[in-house]
Amino acid sequence: MSSRKPVMHAFRSGPLTYGMLVILSAIFMVPLVFVVSIALSSDATVSTGQLTILPRDWRFDNFVRIFRTSLPVGSFIVNSVIISVTSAIGQVLSSSLVGYAFARLRAPGKKALFLVVIATMMIPAQITMIPQFWIFSELGWVDTFLPLIVPQFFSNAFNIFLVRQFVTRIPYEMDEAASIDGLGYFGIYARLVLPLMTPILIAIAIFTLTAAWGDFMGPLIYINSEDKMPLALGVQYLTSTSQELQTPPWNLIMVGSIFLSLPMIIIYYFGQRYMYEMNLSAGSAGVK
Amino acid sequence: MSRTRSASPISRSVSRRSLLAGAGAAGAGLGLAACGGGSGGDAGTPESDPDHKDLVMTVWGGEADKLAYQARVDLAKEKFPDYTITLQLIPSENYEQKVQTMISSKTGPDIMQVAENVNVYSSKQQLVPLDDYISAAGLDMAATFGPVGENYRWDGKTYGIPDRSGAMVLYYNKDLFDAAGIEYPTADWDWDTFLDAAKALTDPAEGRFGFGGVGWWPQWFSLVAQNGGAVLDPETGAPSVNSPEAVEALQWAQDLYFTHKVAPTAVDYSNMGPEMGADGAFQQGLVAMNSTGFWAVGGNAGIDGLNWDIAPFFHGKEKAVSAFGSALVIPTAAKNPQASFEIIQFLTSAEGQTPIADLGQDVPANLELQGSDAFLDPEWLEADANLEAFPESADMIFTPKFIPEWNEMQKSVDDAMASFWLGESDAQTTADDLQSRLERVIKPSE
Amino acid sequence: MTVVDAAAAPDRGTAPGPAGRPPRAKMPPHRRKEALLFYLFISPWVIGFLAFLLGPMIFSIYLSFTEWDSFTPPRWVGLENYITLLTDDPIFWKVMGNTAYYAIISVPLGMAVSLFIANLLNKKVRFRKLFRTLVYLPHLIPIVAVALIFQMVFAPGAGPLNQALSLVGITGPNWLMDSAWVKPALILMSLWQAGGGTILLLAGMNGIPKELYEAAEIDGASSMRQFWSVTFPQLTPVIFFNLIMGIIGSFQVFAQVFILTGGGPDNASQMAVPMLFDEAFRFYHMGYGSAIAWILFVVIMAFTALAFATSGRWVFYESEVRS
Repeated sequence: MSSRKPVMHAFRSGPLTYGMLVILSAIFMVPLVFVVSIALSSDATVSTGQLTILPRDWRFDNFVRIFRTSLPVGSFIVNSVIISVTSAIGQVLSSSLVGYAFARLRAPGKKALFLVVIATMMIPAQITMIPQFWIFSELGWVDTFLPLIVPQFFSNAFNIFLVRQFVTRIPYEMDEAASIDGLGYFGIYARLVLPLMTPILIAIAIFTLTAAWGDFMGPLIYINSEDKMPLALGVQYLTSTSQELQTPPWNLIMVGSIFLSLPMIIIYYFGQRYMYEMNLSAGSAGVK
Repeated sequence: MSRTRSASPISRSVSRRSLLAGAGAAGAGLGLAACGGGSGGDAGTPESDPDHKDLVMTVWGGEADKLAYQARVDLAKEKFPDYTITLQLIPSENYEQKVQTMISSKTGPDIMQVAENVNVYSSKQQLVPLDDYISAAGLDMAATFGPVGENYRWDGKTYGIPDRSGAMVLYYNKDLFDAAGIEYPTADWDWDTFLDAAKALTDPAEGRFGFGGVGWWPQWFSLVAQNGGAVLDPETGAPSVNSPEAVEALQWAQDLYFTHKVAPTAVDYSNMGPEMGADGAFQQGLVAMNSTGFWAVGGNAGIDGLNWDIAPFFHGKEKAVSAFGSALVIPTAAKNPQASFEIIQFLTSAEGQTPIADLGQDVPANLELQGSDAFLDPEWLEADANLEAFPESADMIFTPKFIPEWNEMQKSVDDAMASFWLGESDAQTTADDLQSRLERVIKPSE
Repeated sequence: MTVVDAAAAPDRGTAPGPAGRPPRAKMPPHRRKEALLFYLFISPWVIGFLAFLLGPMIFSIYLSFTEWDSFTPPRWVGLENYITLLTDDPIFWKVMGNTAYYAIISVPLGMAVSLFIANLLNKKVRFRKLFRTLVYLPHLIPIVAVALIFQMVFAPGAGPLNQALSLVGITGPNWLMDSAWVKPALILMSLWQAGGGTILLLAGMNGIPKELYEAAEIDGASSMRQFWSVTFPQLTPVIFFNLIMGIIGSFQVFAQVFILTGGGPDNASQMAVPMLFDEAFRFYHMGYGSAIAWILFVVIMAFTALAFATSGRWVFYESEVRS
């Protein structure tokens, strides 16, 4: 904005604006501060229920003690990483391939198939929940990571849509130039388009990573053994397997919640502009 | 982007058709497979695979239970060194779902803990009948376990070996009783004596209540039984919770909270602290009496300054009290039922049950152990608590009929009773409501 | 391919296509190769579609007509599941009511909150980035953590919410135990994550041409007027899209109900998917659960169709300028 023109009314900010933003931010932050406060509380504070919004105990050792409960919290974290990363890889590989094909390759039936792809976005996952459970249990995949990871290697409608939108914005002249240079379709895909797709692929990787990291229902259904549980399920287990008489160890549970949340915040911090890219594609999807 | 898109209508419909055909075939195939493959539910003892030596045992509970079960599993491993037994502790609210996943995917478990929900599985032929194993092993159920040995039978066959049992008893705070000048509870107490004591022990100024409450189903089921009613008919399992006797018992129970105010309501509990319940309140001296199972012994013993003891639960017109029991069963998904049975037999013997007593987890079902000093006067309990209350209560125990719809019944009970314990409806209305809900979910057996 | 082409050629006749092209003759080899490559490239999706989506969908329809406990073979019962659900299951109607209540209130309300905040952040504010981050942070927290955090926030005595209310003299209810307040509690929880929508709207706002604002400024429009006449109409496509996705998503809410309330006092907070889960995995009525899933699907479709049908009235598309 140039300093010559006065600021337009829509963009003027006054003390009221600031005031509201401050209040809103404070309200939004209260639960997070509360979490940290509980995470730092001593056991006595938790069991007598004297929790306060601002920390009053400073038991940083809770962050170490959580690894000494009877639940393998370290394994929870490792499992979550394995599941999330392989899921992201699967989606990136498959979605880039399929999205590219829809954007660039011609074939009979393509339009109809794309409509089917879009239509599948409307289908709630619960329809297939029970049959998929049956399929995976017949395959013997129950209590393994496979039901959570394998379907990610077959792409999904939303990612296909994103990749296709993205690739159609890449000028076709580059493809033509490459094909004149002798590259086949796969070559064009691998050497030319794929590198150009990097922003949207990173966005898809981030999106898949965060979805898989926070996934609760999938592990709830398929994972039985404690040592295979991801953190999202494990933290919930922490609330249930404490000594039944006493209150659950809320301080440790909040530490677990912090462990669950922190990676997401870090990923956001580093991946912001890719998410912006994706939001543009997703947000502008409604414009057409 | 001005390339022409070409697709002839016929080839488009071909690809759509072949897509549908493929999907239809897939769906039909799945359906057929489910019909065929799902028939792993034949009654009768499956073949034992002697090479299957990796056994999985599922139990529920908290930390203390994990320790006790693991100790027993370790003892079993010494006796049966060829076998590896893996213990899987599952939180109680997830138990049915986890076990279903394992059974339906045929991944075990090999040994499973069950309680009142045993017949959910036996009625669907998912448990191995144990009668042949029992007679082959020469195990005398009645002598080893007493009346509890009959609990885990269905349709004429035995499916479970009792593992833990213990009546609900009355814990009381001796200091509070002394301060109020009341005699300690005995097995002779009836509803009136109990209520008088509770009133004397309640002090609103101190925020103290005489009694922890009866909102939990084993507690109020006992009251109904004591009044001559029955939530479930003992023969057929049909619900009869709105019989006059049951309604009278329910109203008396509700009056404890709202008329006599001797027991804390949910609101009162939440004012005592987050997640505060009867057990925690008893430990803090905020309620003078609490009726629950054996496991509170360990917790109470660990509280400094808490001067407590146990008495058998009071009685009404009749003597009846709930018991907290569980048994070990063998799912038909187990690959080596023979081995499973041998391990179960050991685990339910006096030797295999010793850690239950030594660690103060619960009351062992094994009568020999129950009557021994190992249980009645254990090392870990410094206080001189009246653990005899448990064997004394044994003949008062009533067992509700373990219907196959136990899980749905529990949910209906939780749903219907929620507002009742908040004082929002009276006993008759609630009982009628619960009765109709139960009639929807329960099919009485002939 | 050849068979198809042979069938295609004689039928096509000589009518020119829309672009005036001559009827398509046999596909040249390089186009055939391209088509083959296309199908090869999309094969992951096709396989996934058949194996994990369409096949299971058909199986699920079949299951909804059976009574199946997953241990014994399915038993055909025809329409009984559906009939029971729609006529004889008071819990189901309550649950669908709860789910619709949650979806219809939390999503538009959330959007309104997001819009309000986005408008604030769209102005020239110092520390804009900081505010934006703070508002967005809750959105990043996984739902399991959010549920556990709010279990503490809603605590009747010590929780911050009731503490804040007591500061203004109101005694807060027992949020999660009171059947009147448990759904509002869940909605409040979802509002906490309104920062997600804010970012989307901000991105949309960035795309609004400045000329429109300049024109409004010249016409003397106030800040409010500029918002309602310029900002909001331009954003309606974004809002609409996210409203649809939001409603579809909120109909499928699961984790927070499962963890926080387990269905709430007497099913006051029970939603469709947790009920499905209970019926299928805890009570072993998989056929019943499948029927619930299909009814849910129909309801979601109906709402989506309704939204699309009414969108013409309030969604403004650049391409459809009416004068």
